[in-house]
Amino acid sequence: PSPCASANGRRAGRAGPGWRLDDTEDVSLDFGNEEELALRKAKIRHPLATFFHLFFRVSAIVTYLLCDWFSKSFVACFVTILLLLSFDFWSVKNVTGRLLVGLRWWNQIDEDGKSHWVFEAKKVSTSIAASTEVEARIFWLGLIICPVIWTVFFFSTLFSLKLKWLALVIAGISLQAANLYGYIHCKLGGKKSISKVTSRFLSQRNSGYGCPEGYGNT
Amino acid sequence: MRDLKAVGKKFVHVMYPKKSSALLRDWDLWGPLVLCVSLALMLQGGSADSKEDGGPQFAEVFVIIWFGAVVITLNSKLLGGTISFFQSLCVLGYCVLPLTVAMLVCRLVLLASSGTVSFIVRLVVVMAMFGWSTLASTAFLADSQPPNRKALVVYPIFLFYFVISWMILTFTPQ
Repeated sequence: PSPCASANGRRAGRAGPGWRLDDTEDVSLDFGNEEELALRKAKIRHPLATFFHLFFRVSAIVTYLLCDWFSKSFVACFVTILLLLSFDFWSVKNVTGRLLVGLRWWNQIDEDGKSHWVFEAKKVSTSIAASTEVEARIFWLGLIICPVIWTVFFFSTLFSLKLKWLALVIAGISLQAANLYGYIHCKLGGKKSISKVTSRFLSQRNSGYGCPEGYGNT
Repeated sequence: MRDLKAVGKKFVHVMYPKKSSALLRDWDLWGPLVLCVSLALMLQGGSADSKEDGGPQFAEVFVIIWFGAVVITLNSKLLGGTISFFQSLCVLGYCVLPLTVAMLVCRLVLLASSGTVSFIVRLVVVMAMFGWSTLASTAFLADSQPPNRKALVVYPIFLFYFVISWMILTFTPQ
């Protein structure tokens, strides 16, 4: 039974003998404490993860564009941007993908030395810590737009012959494209999970905030 | 954190090269990145006619290390090696550690003096570390090759570390 039904059932259960149900009874009390309800209603459930997902990528791009203002030294800019790109790679691969869209990928080397790439997608989750549509949209937008920007930088560096930056741009493109490729592979890696995800998004649009995510008009 | 501990463990394994599954099975490229950046930082500003702030040398060292490692990996894969691409990059990158130590020692020696004695000291140190790097990476990588191809795989590794050692030895600060 869907939690909406059980909530009604709980309401009926609270209304024991001698109590009359009327329309002014407060719904929020029946779902447990108010923090859980706020979390269920929130558009962004992992604010820190969302922030850091975008922060490292965008600051790497901004630093690359404005490096002449910050410091005259090529080496300092290079190392700073490289550090930002590495932190971004690590956080997107290990933290934000898992929290924001429930996907993860890694490389595994088994006993006889063969290497496998494993791509996993979390099944439809019902907990209040599951991710929302807004978060998923932010995740994918950030994941796709930034490698495109670095590719633009690649061509601009190549044609303006500022070749000493080329190494950095190539490093940036490879790190970001690796995450993009990994997550797209996770996403497309099972037709069943795609249809589940699509139906979940569609049903979320139709139902209001009354029913928690994961339960639709099925 | 878990990842930092894994990187530290691999550094220890490089210094005492035995057959270790940490370097081979759980590869990661953070150690090579750190080593490459620190080596490039220490090597910059060493050419006689650099008017700029060491930009080209920094990017050059970076490109030499990563491009060289990729080429060696491709070479060993084309020769029929069983090790995977990233595992090989991981081993080659981590085995740059002895040469980074050599660079540190050279810079300290050059702070003290820059005569013939210091050159001999630097030569000995760099040669010892070069031998250590090559032996360490050969110990990890050569096993994955068929026996009659081992020399073909070891030679590019030898060349790679030789070039890095040459850059370290010929470094003269401004």
